Amino acid sequence: MASAPLARSVGEAVAPSPRRPAPMLRAVVRRADVVRWLGRTGAVIPLAALVFILVVLLIESLPAIRYNGLHFFTTTVWNEGVSYNALPVHSGGVYHMSGAAFGALPEIVGTLLTSLIALIVAVPVSIGAALTIVERLPRRLASLVGIFLELLAGIPSVIVGLFGALTFGPFIAHHITPVIARNVPDVPVLSFFRGQPGSGEGLLTSGLVLGIMIIPIIASTTRDLVRQVPILPREGAIALGMSDAQCARRVTLPWVGPGIVGAVVLGLGRALGETMAVAMTCGVALSTVPGNIYTTMTTIAATMFNYLDTAFLDGTGFAVRTIAELGLVLLVITMVVNIAARWLVRRVSGIALPVGRGV
Amino acid sequence: MSERAGGRPTGARVASGGHGASGRHGGASRSPEGMWPPVSRRRKAGNLVFWLLCALALALVIAPTLWLAVDIIGKAVGNWQWNVLVTRTDQLQGGLLQPLLGTLVIASGAILIASIVSILTGMYLSEYATGPLRSVLRGAYEVLAGIPSIVLGLVGYVTLVVGLHWGYGLLPAVLVLSVLAIPYITKATESSLAQVPTSYREGADALGLPPSWTMRRIVLKSAVPGIVTGVLIATAIIIGETAPLIYTSNFSDVNPSLAHVTHLAVPSLPYMVYYFSFLAQPIKHANILSADAALVLLVFVLVLILLGRVIVAWSRRHAE
Amino acid sequence: MAKKFRLAYTAAAVIPLSVLAAACGSNGNSPSSSGSSTPAASSAKMVGAALPSAPNSAAASVTETGSTLLYPLVSAWAADYQKQFTKVTITTGATGSGTGITDASTGTVNIGASDAYLSASERAANPTLLNIPLAISAQQVNYNVPGLKTGLKLDGKILAQIYSGKITKWNDSQIAALNPGVSLPGTTIVPLRRVDSSGDTFLFTSYLNAQDPSVWTSSDVGTSVSWPSVSGELAEQGNGGMVTGCSTTKGCIAYIGVSYETQTNADHLGQALLQNAAGNFVAPTASTIVAAASGMTSKTPPDETLSMINSPGAQSYPIINYEYAIVNTKQSDGVTAEDIRAFLVWDLTTGQSASKYLDAVNFQPLPAAVVTLSENQIKKIGA
Repeated sequence: MASAPLARSVGEAVAPSPRRPAPMLRAVVRRADVVRWLGRTGAVIPLAALVFILVVLLIESLPAIRYNGLHFFTTTVWNEGVSYNALPVHSGGVYHMSGAAFGALPEIVGTLLTSLIALIVAVPVSIGAALTIVERLPRRLASLVGIFLELLAGIPSVIVGLFGALTFGPFIAHHITPVIARNVPDVPVLSFFRGQPGSGEGLLTSGLVLGIMIIPIIASTTRDLVRQVPILPREGAIALGMSDAQCARRVTLPWVGPGIVGAVVLGLGRALGETMAVAMTCGVALSTVPGNIYTTMTTIAATMFNYLDTAFLDGTGFAVRTIAELGLVLLVITMVVNIAARWLVRRVSGIALPVGRGV
Repeated sequence: MSERAGGRPTGARVASGGHGASGRHGGASRSPEGMWPPVSRRRKAGNLVFWLLCALALALVIAPTLWLAVDIIGKAVGNWQWNVLVTRTDQLQGGLLQPLLGTLVIASGAILIASIVSILTGMYLSEYATGPLRSVLRGAYEVLAGIPSIVLGLVGYVTLVVGLHWGYGLLPAVLVLSVLAIPYITKATESSLAQVPTSYREGADALGLPPSWTMRRIVLKSAVPGIVTGVLIATAIIIGETAPLIYTSNFSDVNPSLAHVTHLAVPSLPYMVYYFSFLAQPIKHANILSADAALVLLVFVLVLILLGRVIVAWSRRHAE
Repeated sequence: MAKKFRLAYTAAAVIPLSVLAAACGSNGNSPSSSGSSTPAASSAKMVGAALPSAPNSAAASVTETGSTLLYPLVSAWAADYQKQFTKVTITTGATGSGTGITDASTGTVNIGASDAYLSASERAANPTLLNIPLAISAQQVNYNVPGLKTGLKLDGKILAQIYSGKITKWNDSQIAALNPGVSLPGTTIVPLRRVDSSGDTFLFTSYLNAQDPSVWTSSDVGTSVSWPSVSGELAEQGNGGMVTGCSTTKGCIAYIGVSYETQTNADHLGQALLQNAAGNFVAPTASTIVAAASGMTSKTPPDETLSMINSPGAQSYPIINYEYAIVNTKQSDGVTAEDIRAFLVWDLTTGQSASKYLDAVNFQPLPAAVVTLSENQIKKIGA
């Protein structure tokens, strides 16, 4: 891009446009500086939006941060207070309903657990699929699968949620989880898989649905990375006598490892913030830290969606401020994850990650 | 154990593997049959298991998606009637007309605003900005893409719906969704501009053409297919966004009206998918409308993404 | 470069901050700034009772949102009303009672629909809001227990213990004691509760509290309460979610608005007979609901804020309620205020036709005395 400044100086040396005489306005627009300034104004908008979002959430949630304190991160109660039989109170300058108490531990744990399940499902599947696409499929078929991944990334999350809540969730609850729940031994860690299999709304369903949703990000990024692995080291590995499975495991994947980590973290960012699909499949238990993998639970984003109408009923407005605090927590988590992913990948492999859903 | 043996099929594989330039010279490395000692069974089995697992992984990517598509389409197609597209929603029955219009108007507005901002941003970042400014601005839109849409919706609610007393309406929804779309279009603009060959610019410079002319007539023109594809994909993404709409456009049974961009809740397809579904309304005709709305959304997404693909393919063919 | 960099940064910080300042500034002004003007053009029509039978002749629109229970009814009203008065546009929405109340108080919509009357905090925050009954609804208790037919007898004591996790099996001795001769399976009880704020939760918890204040304390009464933790509990979104959840969960028990009776019957959910104040077990039918409503008519105060739980009378159904329109007495302009009054009056007269409107959602019409109270409140809606 070094040519850009150079081009400008050359262009200015040569007088106006060679052919067509232009009206005044055009002549002004034609000046590179105008384009440049317009561009700069536009380019500042995303940054301004980002700062704006942060500032707004911070201001909106300040009273909630003050009142909820650190208990917000350690307690499980979720109660906007007594609405009918007591008057709202002021405490420490914060106006709220009497008995209001909010602890987001279930939300935070739920967010992390669903995302963890999603990663456990999506990472191996995506990497395996990416290797198959690049190394095994004929080119035509590979590009067909590529379109398929793009479509999967584009499916609205409300539709995935609909599928998860009405078809997928009940299916696994009736045919798969009862078998697992009964047969898993009661030992630490595995006991998390024991218990009432439930109706299909809960941690497992939400995690799996999230897994489906982040596969396109990880798979398509990994595919692009694997395609960029130079042929020489791989030929070298084969010349040394590796099988192609060994070559894929020991040469190709390590070669693109940091990139894959970046893609995974990007997928994680999406899983953490996904709203509709989880809101429709999690069972919305606002004050339950999941005791097993089948229990109903909630995530930060799902609570923000499902709890909104209740929050409106708090005439003091404190419940909405608490939602804003939840939003701030989610924003900070996803921003840290996102920035970390991009920093990591730029640092190590110099490629740029896709944005958003990875299409 | 003959370590080398497994290499034979790999050599062939790498050679015919689907990546352009490298495919060609692989043929030379292929060795005649029988040159190698026999392959150990364990090694063969290991290789087979690895690739079987990989194939299984691919199947696990494809199967749930197909299941989802068949499920959603199947629910709608059985009761599909073309006139739902032009029939008004009446309470919990009727057609999809108002939500369909609502979605189209909201998405067009958001894409219009987002395109202007994004193309300027992409152009500036690719052609003018340098150094730390560039990485800060670029980082900003990339991080913006990672912000959960529900958070954007909440901010829109706090500032626009309540703060500016706009109430629910088209305008807050359009503004919030445009923020969602900006990163996709900016990314597309930036990378398509970066792909315009330097020789074009240098050629134009050598001919003494002014840089703004070069920018408009040569650089932007060759980047157009990529930008359009980005716009299409961004449209596909925001058209199905639901969570921010509950905070901004909300839901009602009116046609969207450009005369009332504020203070008039507007229905939309994604919200209808949720609100009329069996989860919220155990009423059969409402559920059918929800399924119909889901199908229409899926078709929108499909068409937009395929159209993007076609444009990319077409422009590649016409590039040379 | 460094200078320009700083400039961009400053702009990035200043632009959002100034927008924010503008937002906060306008946030401070209450929407009542235009309140002092006297009703001029519309006053001529308001001679005698300020209750217009037709909307203002100027074209105007009235917006409504809120309770999902009221949505079908208000939509049906709005459709017919607009056929009769073509100048008026009435838009309806279904977003939940909480949104309805908030939107009515902020002026986002003109009419908020709510299943519950205003709470203390809402009254404190918005002294100009009215709650005006439009119809009478009731709540049924449903269950999905294989082998258990409809008509199981339950009372508030047992329900309170189920919802606080003290009774966990369907063959519990207390349930058996109320239902001699019924063979009860040993299925685990899965209590379903609403996650969203809801008049239904308010009604149900009020009933539990009214029947047994020792198990269910008054601080646990509300549109959304912090439920005692019960293993296997499920939370659902909206009445629809309750029906869905109950029909797919064996052993469940749920409280559902009577509007959904058609669906609960279609899903073969059992409907409980609930114990009323007189000690009888009654089902939510038109006659028991009307009996309960008439028992409460004389107790209704002028602001119509009233819990109708445990109405006296041998055949009164214990969980009934008024469905409310939440309206701000200070509307933005006189024409809109007049149109709101006209629409609400129409709802309370023409709109009370059972066969035409109310039967579809299993609501009952308001007693005449309550209609008068509602009309008195409607008169207060101005600009």
